Amino acid sequence: MRFVARRLGFFLLTLWAAVTLNFLIPRLMPGNAALAMMSRYKGRVNPQAIHALEIAFGIHTHQSLVGAYFTYLGDIARGHFGISLTFFPDAVSHQVLQALPWTLALVGTTTILAFVLGTFIGLISAWRRGGMLDGALPPIFVITSAFPYFWLALLAIWLFAIKLGWFPESGGYDVTTTVGWSWAFVEDAIRHSILPAATILITSIGGWILTMRNNAISVLAEDYVRMARAKGLKPWRIMWTYAGRNAILPNLTGFAMSLGFVVSGAILVEFVFNYPGVGWMFLQSVENQDYALMQALFLMITVAVLLAILAADGATAVLDPRTRDGA
Amino acid sequence: MSEPLLRAEGLTRHFKVGGLFSRKRLHAVDEVNFTIGKGEIVALVGESGSGKSTIARLLARVYKPTSGEIYFEGEPLSRIRSRKQRLAYSSDVPMVFQDPYSSINPAYRVSHGISRALTLHRRAMGRKARRNELQRVFDAVGLVPAGAASRKFPYELSGGQRQRVGFAQALAFRPKLIIADEPVSMLDVSIRIGILNLMTELREQEGVSFLYITHDVASARYIADRVLVMYGGHLVEQGPTDDVIHRPKHPYTQLLLAAVPDPRAPLGVSDASDVGEPPKVVDPEEGCRFRARCPYAIDRCEVETPLLRDIGPGRLVACHVAEADPQERRPAAVAGVEQR
Amino acid sequence: MTFQPVPATTEPTTTVPSSATGPPIPESRRGFGTDLWRAVARNRKAVVGVLLLLFFLVLSVFPGEIAPYSPTAEVFQPGLGPSWQHWFGTTAYGQDVLSQLIWGTRQSVVIAFAVGGLATALAVIVGVSAAYLGGISDGFLSLITDVILVIPIFPLIIVIAAYERNAGLFTLVIVLGALGWSYGARQLRAQTLSLRRRDFLEAARVRGERKSYVILHEILPTMTSLIVASFLGAALYAVLFAAGLQFIGLGDPNSQSWGTMLYWAENNEALGANMVLWAITPGVCVALLGAAFALLNYAFDEISNPALRLRKLDITGTRERPKDATITAPTTSDRILEVRGLSVAYASDEGPVVAVDNVDFDLHRGEFLGIVGESGCGKSTLMYAIARLLGPPFSGEITDGEVIFRGRDMVKLGDRQLRHIRWREFSVVMQSAMNALNPVLTIEAQMRDACKAHSKMSDKEIEKRSIEVLKLVSIDPIHLLSYPHQLSGGMRQRAMIAMALLFTPDLVIMDEPTSALDVVAQRSLMMQIKELQERLGFAVIFVTHDMSLVSHFSDRLLVMYAAQVAEFGNTRQLFDNPRHPYTRALLDAFPSIHGPRVRLTGIPGSPPDLARPPQGCRFAARCPHATPRSIAVEPPLFDVEGDLVRCFLYEESAAEENVRAGATEGVA
Repeated sequence: MRFVARRLGFFLLTLWAAVTLNFLIPRLMPGNAALAMMSRYKGRVNPQAIHALEIAFGIHTHQSLVGAYFTYLGDIARGHFGISLTFFPDAVSHQVLQALPWTLALVGTTTILAFVLGTFIGLISAWRRGGMLDGALPPIFVITSAFPYFWLALLAIWLFAIKLGWFPESGGYDVTTTVGWSWAFVEDAIRHSILPAATILITSIGGWILTMRNNAISVLAEDYVRMARAKGLKPWRIMWTYAGRNAILPNLTGFAMSLGFVVSGAILVEFVFNYPGVGWMFLQSVENQDYALMQALFLMITVAVLLAILAADGATAVLDPRTRDGA
Repeated sequence: MSEPLLRAEGLTRHFKVGGLFSRKRLHAVDEVNFTIGKGEIVALVGESGSGKSTIARLLARVYKPTSGEIYFEGEPLSRIRSRKQRLAYSSDVPMVFQDPYSSINPAYRVSHGISRALTLHRRAMGRKARRNELQRVFDAVGLVPAGAASRKFPYELSGGQRQRVGFAQALAFRPKLIIADEPVSMLDVSIRIGILNLMTELREQEGVSFLYITHDVASARYIADRVLVMYGGHLVEQGPTDDVIHRPKHPYTQLLLAAVPDPRAPLGVSDASDVGEPPKVVDPEEGCRFRARCPYAIDRCEVETPLLRDIGPGRLVACHVAEADPQERRPAAVAGVEQR
Repeated sequence: MTFQPVPATTEPTTTVPSSATGPPIPESRRGFGTDLWRAVARNRKAVVGVLLLLFFLVLSVFPGEIAPYSPTAEVFQPGLGPSWQHWFGTTAYGQDVLSQLIWGTRQSVVIAFAVGGLATALAVIVGVSAAYLGGISDGFLSLITDVILVIPIFPLIIVIAAYERNAGLFTLVIVLGALGWSYGARQLRAQTLSLRRRDFLEAARVRGERKSYVILHEILPTMTSLIVASFLGAALYAVLFAAGLQFIGLGDPNSQSWGTMLYWAENNEALGANMVLWAITPGVCVALLGAAFALLNYAFDEISNPALRLRKLDITGTRERPKDATITAPTTSDRILEVRGLSVAYASDEGPVVAVDNVDFDLHRGEFLGIVGESGCGKSTLMYAIARLLGPPFSGEITDGEVIFRGRDMVKLGDRQLRHIRWREFSVVMQSAMNALNPVLTIEAQMRDACKAHSKMSDKEIEKRSIEVLKLVSIDPIHLLSYPHQLSGGMRQRAMIAMALLFTPDLVIMDEPTSALDVVAQRSLMMQIKELQERLGFAVIFVTHDMSLVSHFSDRLLVMYAAQVAEFGNTRQLFDNPRHPYTRALLDAFPSIHGPRVRLTGIPGSPPDLARPPQGCRFAARCPHATPRSIAVEPPLFDVEGDLVRCFLYEESAAEENVRAGATEGVA
């Protein structure tokens, strides 16, 4: 249990660091971006919007820096992220919650799918060492892992949407469909998500395949795998409980560490496809200088990544008795 | 009695174990006293975890003692302050390590350690003098031709040759005492003797003293003048080598000697029910640390830690039960196994 | 935008692991100089990576000389397709795409190298000092590293860029560098930690070196390949992130770069407007430059982790040799194992290495056979060959010979048939139970695995049997539910022996099962093995480097030297009257605790390199009795009073005996 407690502590600490960065960045920028922004907007937008900015930057005119910081922390803790300028006068938190399901459905699903599939393929490829799969995969995926997500997205749009017309070009659903839990809408949403999902899947799966393959190759050379062979166990049993289960442990750590990169890619994919998720909204808020929304979304993304890491830690604790003993 | 080369008094080293807020202390070495004379080879024998490597590192000043003091040529080590003094000590008392595959930096030629030693400790030397010194130490450890050998990378040498490089490095300091921490345990049997012989030769030719740390009693007997036996951080027995080996007084020493495989002797008596798990001495209570495994344990062993006491010329033993002649009292359990 | 670092799969080490089962080749040479370059040149991925990188480097240094036009001049017709004048067409502003691409190279290359350098420098400073300083500094530094590692960097950079729009190249490099070092730092810290346990650092400290010297001159040179890998990873990340930032319009829109090209192409809807190459080619360039770094990175991983390389065994080079006069006595029912002319070869960079060369022996029911020899003599390989545990993923292949176990030639058995007799009829005990037991399964689960594979036992019966065998080796059955790491060294070893006895097989093959233990524990375990063997009647093949260990336990002893049988005979006889000069010398190398103290000599020299074995007797170079003949001709095994000896000294006595007996006799 020490392991879980330690990871929870790490979770909170990182969250705090992200919030603090959010607070500090506008202040550390040359010329104090926060104040500059405030003076730029004064008199041009209504007092409510000014107040929203105050919350976003944690600026309270008559407070010291430390005092402002604590007020800011308190606001964040209570979920007060201010009011969006883009979607004025909608609360930022409301906007974020609208975008969230789209991203969870698209990025969440594809990331998990890529991890599971990649891990599986990597294990098989290591198991059949020197086979066709093993010969072809590493060079291919080393190269695809260097592809920029957004470029692949552009390519996919050009080929499958513009040239072939198989899939819609952009968006999360057709403007003519009514949003709701109807079959027509779900079908439409899925049709819209196939291209972005495939883009994320193709670019991210290579990493999992390669790391799992390398892990599994090291594990397969371990004595306990040899021992399992000596015991006359069936090959699939050796592959799963002896090789696979041990090889996946470092891969889970790798999952946690690479998640930030996957999310970065997903943001750009959403942007290219105009997909109405968190990433697209994030870039929109940057475009529109809607800082309250932008900061909330950044926190949102951080929390999502941290939760996924926590889940990976949980899986590690389940799979590896050594972490449970704190050894 | 004149001052010995090195004298340890009440030497103690504890390590913190467990997490950040743990107060547990591992007693690696507790209240150890011993001396090493000039030109003497002293063997420190014990199982893994008995604290013998900690003693090596205390003497090499890698660790600082928790309490107690080491006197080298009469001067306490805790008095060492300046870098100059530190360097002087480390060149008097160098160390040879257990694993020849990890004790030489793979990124450099094998002469690296020696030339660094000369740069650090014998600054006044010119280029030519250095080359001669390199030649001398390689010759002394039997790495010939010295020129070719010193230009090799570690991976080009065998384990035995690497260990010779280890001794050559130590010699470059013109040392007074070499701490050899299990220098042969990772080597093949056929080359071990070569290294052990090298140590006796160095003692004879260069007058160096050795603290030879080992778990192998037979090799200790082969080269050492005196033997110190450690168990669970305590020094339990010491004395002249043959005396200790032929007439062991401490029950642990007896057990250890009985377990040594020896093709020339009949299968020794040994208590098969003793699975030989050495103790982890974390926050120990008063009492003998061997008592749980000891066939002779009495009530007193539970409550009082036995101190080293004099039982003959040069012989010291830390046991409440040990008498002048232990052959007299053999418990039933051990006798039973013998009849099997 | 993807960069998935390849996590270190194993604890990075700088030397090859224990050579107990590995091929007898020199340890991997890495971390420095010429060997590194040779390894790079041999690796196809590395070569492609280097060539790609060189190509872009040239473009970035001489864009003016190479590009056909000015990248900015809006002088051509907008939106042209590909032609001889404009290979990749023109932009919506009438600029030449190819020229823009060539000029754009410079920025990507500069960013890659600057960020790579900056991030690597930070990674080295933080990672190495964290590991080297240890304690609270380590805790603090690695916490910072981990926090920066998991905070999504790209969104963070976007947030920063949102306040600092149109950031110049310098700002971009600083921000990317300042945020991109954490992965490398983590790797370097792990590597330094593993180095910290290595004695050469302690040796340097004991020598009196200053901390700075130890870090700069002792630690860093051994980590060259990891530092290079860290640089390549950071460079890849920089290229991709910079292109991404410029693409979404957070860079300087007037700069010459691939990302900016993509930004303008996207803004002009180049894909829909038939200027496809404008939108696609910059991405191709980013991908190619990225691929160069990724390929090099992967290749470095392969180079520094030899396990990832696959060597193919080519035995055409190994010489055909006449068979030794084998024991021709008829197979009796008493004989459960016959090994005939068994040879095993490994693939190495220097060609095939014959690790077991034409070995013959037999084993009787209930017999205890010791196989002794020094490291690299092939004893473990022989053991694994008999147990049919060689072959991928383990190096080593049986190239010749038979292993007849209870009438079947195991060499010819298929996997399925082998699986059938494994563990029921013969089982294996390995050197280190810590490595041989699956760390994530309980002892009970591992016992159950074996039982389920070979019987229809119910869970209840399996538990009963498991408890029985644990009691055999005096372990409290409570430990059935323990994981391997929860047991002490001695207990783990016993648990593994218990597991080997689940089906009370006819043969248990043991590979140094006691060598990791202390003397007392070792003796106690030996006694227990012997007792179990006598009680249950199984035969034992006991592989060890310590001849004296088996002296009181084995019935017969097989002494191996440089892949061959040197001597084979009755244990007592062999100890009392060793014949082969090697056996004799080996016995003389053991100091004794009994008898007078005598000066011993050991054996001068070292065993031959098996990649280039000597022509004559393999021991000749170290042998006091070597003759010109034994140096030139390899002696066969001579039968001397039932004892087999590979030495010409016994040629005559063996011949005499043959005349006397009139026929070749079996051993023992």
